[in-house]
Amino acid sequence: MNHAETSAAPVPAILAEVKPAVLPRPALVANHRSFAWISDKICGIVEEPTPKWWWACFAVTVFVASFTVAGLTYLVATGVGVWGHRNPVNWAWDIVNFVFWIGIGHAGTLISAILCLLRQKWRTSINRAAEAMTIFAVICAGIFPLFHVGRIWLAWYLFPIPNANAIWQNFRSPLEWDVFAVSTYGTVSVLFWYVGMIPDLGLLRDRFTAAGHRLRAFLYGLFAMGWRGSNRHWSNYEMAYLILAGIATPLVLSVHTIVSFDFAVSLIPGWHTTIFPPYFVAGAIFSGFGMVLTLILPLRAVYKLEDLITQHHIDNMCKITLATGSMVGYAYLIEFFIAWYSANPNEGFMFVNRAFGPYAWGYWIMVTCNVVVPQFFWFKAVRCNTALVWVLAILVNVGMWMERFVIICASLARDFLPSSWGYYSPSVVEVFTFFGTFGVFATLFLLFIRFLPLMPMAEIKAITPQADVHRGSGHP
Amino acid sequence: MKRQFAHPAPSERELTGPRYWRSLDELAATPAFREYLEREFPAGAAQLGGVDRRQFFKLMAASFALGGVGLAGCRRPEAYVLPYGKSVEEVKDGLPLYFATAMPLRRAAIPLVAETYQGRPTKLEGNPSYAPHGGVSSLLAQASVLDLYDPDRATMHLQNGAEFSPVAANDLLDAISRKYAVGRGAGLAFLAEASSSPTRAALVAGLKRKLPEAIWAEYEPIVDEPPVEAARAAFGRDLQPVYRFARARRILSLDGDFLHTGPAALAYARGFAQGRRVTSKDEADRMNRLYVAESGLTLTGAMADHRLRIASSHVPALAAAFAGRILGTDAYAALTPGLDVKPEWIAECATDLLAHKGESLVVAGAHQPAATHALAYLMNAALGNIGRTIDFVAAEPSTAATIQQLAAVIKTGSVKTLFILGGNPVYNAPADVDWPALQKAVPEVIRHGYYVDETSAVAGVHLAATHYLESWGDARTADGTIVPVQPMILPLFEGMNELTVLARILGDAVTDPYTLVFNTITGLAGGEPEKTFRRFLHDGLLDDTAWPPVGELQPRAEAAAAILAGASRIPAVGAKALEVRFVADSKTDDGRFANNGWLQECPDPITRLTWDNAILVSPRLAKELGIIPPSSPLEIARVEAADFELGKEQAQVGEVKLGGRTIRGPLHIQPGLSNYTIIVPLGYGRTQSGRVGTGAGFNAYALRTGEAMHIAVGATIEVVPGRRYALANTQEHWSMEGRDIIREANVEEFKANPAFVTALGLEPHSPPYDEASAQLPLAEKATEIPRGNSLYTTPKFDGLHQWGMSIDLNTCIGCNACVIACQAENNIPIVGKDQVLRGREMHWIRIDRYYSDARIDAGAFGGEGNREIPEDPQVSLEPMACQQCELAPCETVCPVNATVHDNEGLNVMAYNRCVGTRYCANNCPYKVRRFNYFDWNKRALDALYWGPLGHQKDMPELLKMVHNPEVTIRMRGVMEKCTYCVQRIENAKIQQKVKAAQAGSPGDVLVPDGAFKTACQQACPVEAIVFGNLLDPRSAVSHAKAQQRDYAVLGYLNVRPRTTYLGKLRNPNPRMPDYADLPLSRREYNIKNRPTGAESGERMPETGKT
Repeated sequence: MNHAETSAAPVPAILAEVKPAVLPRPALVANHRSFAWISDKICGIVEEPTPKWWWACFAVTVFVASFTVAGLTYLVATGVGVWGHRNPVNWAWDIVNFVFWIGIGHAGTLISAILCLLRQKWRTSINRAAEAMTIFAVICAGIFPLFHVGRIWLAWYLFPIPNANAIWQNFRSPLEWDVFAVSTYGTVSVLFWYVGMIPDLGLLRDRFTAAGHRLRAFLYGLFAMGWRGSNRHWSNYEMAYLILAGIATPLVLSVHTIVSFDFAVSLIPGWHTTIFPPYFVAGAIFSGFGMVLTLILPLRAVYKLEDLITQHHIDNMCKITLATGSMVGYAYLIEFFIAWYSANPNEGFMFVNRAFGPYAWGYWIMVTCNVVVPQFFWFKAVRCNTALVWVLAILVNVGMWMERFVIICASLARDFLPSSWGYYSPSVVEVFTFFGTFGVFATLFLLFIRFLPLMPMAEIKAITPQADVHRGSGHP
Repeated sequence: MKRQFAHPAPSERELTGPRYWRSLDELAATPAFREYLEREFPAGAAQLGGVDRRQFFKLMAASFALGGVGLAGCRRPEAYVLPYGKSVEEVKDGLPLYFATAMPLRRAAIPLVAETYQGRPTKLEGNPSYAPHGGVSSLLAQASVLDLYDPDRATMHLQNGAEFSPVAANDLLDAISRKYAVGRGAGLAFLAEASSSPTRAALVAGLKRKLPEAIWAEYEPIVDEPPVEAARAAFGRDLQPVYRFARARRILSLDGDFLHTGPAALAYARGFAQGRRVTSKDEADRMNRLYVAESGLTLTGAMADHRLRIASSHVPALAAAFAGRILGTDAYAALTPGLDVKPEWIAECATDLLAHKGESLVVAGAHQPAATHALAYLMNAALGNIGRTIDFVAAEPSTAATIQQLAAVIKTGSVKTLFILGGNPVYNAPADVDWPALQKAVPEVIRHGYYVDETSAVAGVHLAATHYLESWGDARTADGTIVPVQPMILPLFEGMNELTVLARILGDAVTDPYTLVFNTITGLAGGEPEKTFRRFLHDGLLDDTAWPPVGELQPRAEAAAAILAGASRIPAVGAKALEVRFVADSKTDDGRFANNGWLQECPDPITRLTWDNAILVSPRLAKELGIIPPSSPLEIARVEAADFELGKEQAQVGEVKLGGRTIRGPLHIQPGLSNYTIIVPLGYGRTQSGRVGTGAGFNAYALRTGEAMHIAVGATIEVVPGRRYALANTQEHWSMEGRDIIREANVEEFKANPAFVTALGLEPHSPPYDEASAQLPLAEKATEIPRGNSLYTTPKFDGLHQWGMSIDLNTCIGCNACVIACQAENNIPIVGKDQVLRGREMHWIRIDRYYSDARIDAGAFGGEGNREIPEDPQVSLEPMACQQCELAPCETVCPVNATVHDNEGLNVMAYNRCVGTRYCANNCPYKVRRFNYFDWNKRALDALYWGPLGHQKDMPELLKMVHNPEVTIRMRGVMEKCTYCVQRIENAKIQQKVKAAQAGSPGDVLVPDGAFKTACQQACPVEAIVFGNLLDPRSAVSHAKAQQRDYAVLGYLNVRPRTTYLGKLRNPNPRMPDYADLPLSRREYNIKNRPTGAESGERMPETGKT
């Protein structure tokens, strides 16, 4: 275009306004899939006859879950001694597993709430599954602190229920904070998950109604709470969702902060550290993304969801894993520095002991998995190799479990008085009870993918290229 | 649901007062109206008429369901209550009564006071009337009450394994009596335990008069008194020494563990502590100095200021070398060639002894040959100690035959009837006697014993014996004082007293033990019999019956030379000819307490092993055997002395060969041993004991011959390849790691800096309190120092009393009496070997034992120095129980407020509230909280608690009788810990209130100092534990805490413990070659914490060996 010809004004030397070039954003839904395709794809998973592989997996996971049931039954009938706990290691796998599962539960709400508030649109295709993962992980996590107590039939003492003894809880105890933090987190996560699902449930109801499945239509309709997709519904829904995202966001930070207080508030060397809250939160997000990748990648392959979970999504998750993993690695370094800088011989010994003492094997597994493994995500070739990403994500989970083990067991095993030093090793019951929780988790997850919409269809539709009438011109 | 008719029934007022009606029809109650009602409210109308049958059945069914199903689930124990018809004299329900008694053991006894509840003894304490003990007691005495309630004890007489009625047993004894009266006892033999009982002595004397042909033999596998021949050689008379340790300022022990073994150990330990106790620097010069030469590491050696490792078989030569120095003669030089000891060690030690004439003391171990003792006596005589630090009392030579003499007679076949009274010769007779075969060869064997054990198994008749707490007797203490053995309860089973057995065989008219004892005592004491005896029982002793010291003694050096001439030369000891020391186990003794769970689970004071004995080998020998545990490339802490796998000591198994005999046992590397001496504790490997004792450990008697009962030379040892044996070791790590846990100083430093404890530790680095508050007493520090608007408010210490404890590390000898006293007082369960292996022992107080050798490496990553297991360590001991922190870290973390502070400074546990999160135990820096991982009190002795399904495998009822009714039995899932014996505190407060009210001054409720003691304090033989009210500046505990040696373990954590410790002092002789100018633990502290330069000149100890 030639300005000189169309305007008499002199050509300005400097442009009045510089419009930066709009970076081409990768399409979040590949292959220009239509709205109908998305609906058919996601609803199809729920509508299709139960696949054989699902039944096979379900049988296996229920069997594995039965280990937890059996282990806990034995525990309650006999005593906590069926686990390997001992003096001085009075917490071991129970709390390790608790922190591990709670940590996993972090990515879900992070993806849903924080990324929602930050308007990271790529979250849409993974947030539903991640939220489900959060809830199931919190359920698995809750098992351990509940059953690790010596007298579970009195565990209600932990809740502020008025009682004849007139003894109130000890609100100075981080364990008591945990009770509130975890139950709040669980509640809000369920609410958030459910509210986000309402439009999709409404869609399923409609489709089942159309297909003549009356019972299913009734059940989905029940939970769709009369969703009609009216403008009024949508505006209320969006507001509710936003408010819940706002409530959930601080919880992402608070839950693991409070879990870390279990240790930071105590005086045991290796626990008594002010770095714990940010370090734990970073670690939790790290492990959470590890778990999301572990779950999403097979799901993507099985249900052929490559168009919805694109390489861009995987890239993003890998990058977050890399970032948080590096934060965790930094924390490991700082712990050593602080231990040296404090000039407290007990602290100093503890950290040397972690790395080179009897639990050194655990420490080095932890460092390898948490610090070295995520460094591979610097490379695009690695991020594009889905199988490799999946393996690395599993290693991240192993590393994060080991981190909790090292923090809890290695610190307790050798504290102030060397006369009381001991070495903890788990019992068979403990190992299988933990193993079983993977079954519990997987069973719940299988039920989820079978009966609930795996992805928020309404939201995905909103981020498809065709939903953007301005074609990416940056108009709001 | 049907609507119920709700026409209210007329109230009382309606019936009696003015009547109202809702309609005229109702008032008239015409049939038409009733019919109308029936139609209108068909369900309710029927109710108007009378009882609703349906409703009735519904209610009843619901009630049954609730009553039967719901409430039956509540745990209301079924109990059959019988009326307590005939009360014990003076008993007040719920209050204990105390009676004097005594625990006989070998040729001595420990005077005791038994606490009984409704006639049931539950706890034993030392009898304070007996001055040499002053009310203290020992580990074995504390634990002996459990034997009374041992469900595995012999509960009936047996004949060939079948029940044998008491009447039949009496008839049998009478028949034997009549049978042998004819032949003056020919063919009759007795093998008895040693005893100090005057009544038994009288009966035996009677037996010898009436049945002179009968053989009376006595056998004790453990000899804990010096041989009488020694005194005969030294002074020409039969004498026994009595030491006065309180007066001794320089003590040389020649392989003697006088603090812990022997009949007078309690009195000796107490006397030693008196000479050891230092309250200020002015007293420091009066502190005694202890030189110990020994082969094993005993508690006495652990207390030594100078310790020489030397083979026991070389000790006579060492004694000769010392005697040469002290007596100024070379008459004994012939004995010393080959003695591998630095001459300076002997010379300087001897010089020190000579410089303290009349205030020094040389003692020898009871197991040493007569020559060693004779030399020790001569040295004491030359040092002018006789009459000052050592007295000699007349000893009656035993007239009993030995087991060897009896064996010789049995071999001739002339013994037809053999009585085995107590003991357990099949198990513990010398191996060369081959007693089991001999016993089988005797046609009639009658065994009188407390357990159906190995000996009973090859005896035709087993007569069940009574426990000393359920039968009459008498005994003498180590110094000869006669004490009563008074029963607290009727025999629980068909037990028979040993005195009765003897009296029946004697054919006496009087067989009742009470009368027998009564006659003996009143005969000895004179006076009005009833009064004398009542006083005897009341006081628990007969005044002035201690053996009187003999007067002037003339040492006979030339006569002594004769016994020395017979003494053998030093045997060569080395890797191919090891020396074996047979020692009584510190807990099971000679095996007699093998079935006592408290003792089995009590860690050995030195090895810290429970439930087993082990062959102890020195680090040097271990290295040669190749059993040093593998070390990791970086030894960041000191290397472990044992192979720990998953926290369990996996000991190599060794095979010891001696004179053609072999034993196998786990090898435990023990620092401090003489290089080529192996220590073999006796008393384990029982094959026929109860559920507790059977199968624990290995039997070392199999190696022991009559020739070498205590020391044998020429053994070899081999490691059995590929075999491992798990040892339940309660302390995995031996080094203090250069930490400031036990703070020690030499006396010299203490004099220069009496507050040396403040020079150690992190406290000086913590932010200083302001000037004024730094000087506050501990109790006030917690409340007075402002803490800001913290969530963690300080408890209000506004109680009338503020309890606190002080433990003197300078006098604690680590004897474990406190551990068992606490267990007995506080109903602490045992958990069994398997659970100890899993680290779940329940003791509320434990004794931490650390070794130090100053070879620790300073670097954070360790180094070569960390790899060494010390061969010659210094030992530091520390009793550790709940410190009752004022700012208790356990309290803040308990989510349910189950552990809280009371206003008298106690950190209390509300067991009912505890859900068992175990957070408190994690956050306890002292690791003194104990968790009930299983229902220890509901489990059989050999099983876990399997929930309601396993109820039939319950704890035996008999065992429950030992429980102290004042203390809750904790269920599973509950945390527990030391309470400062809160039940005793509360009792004392109640008693004071009662006393005050009776005296007419009800406001006077302050418990006076010393009105009661905690269980550990009461048992402590060295009175290291002091407890009381910190608010009272004149209380003993306030005085103790006012000392400059007072410090808090881990004080830098600002938990402000109420239990504090008095720093340990060592009193080494600067002229000795093994002098170290700092205690080795202190040097380790300096290496770790002040790596730039030690605070004083380097003078490291050298070994005493050349």
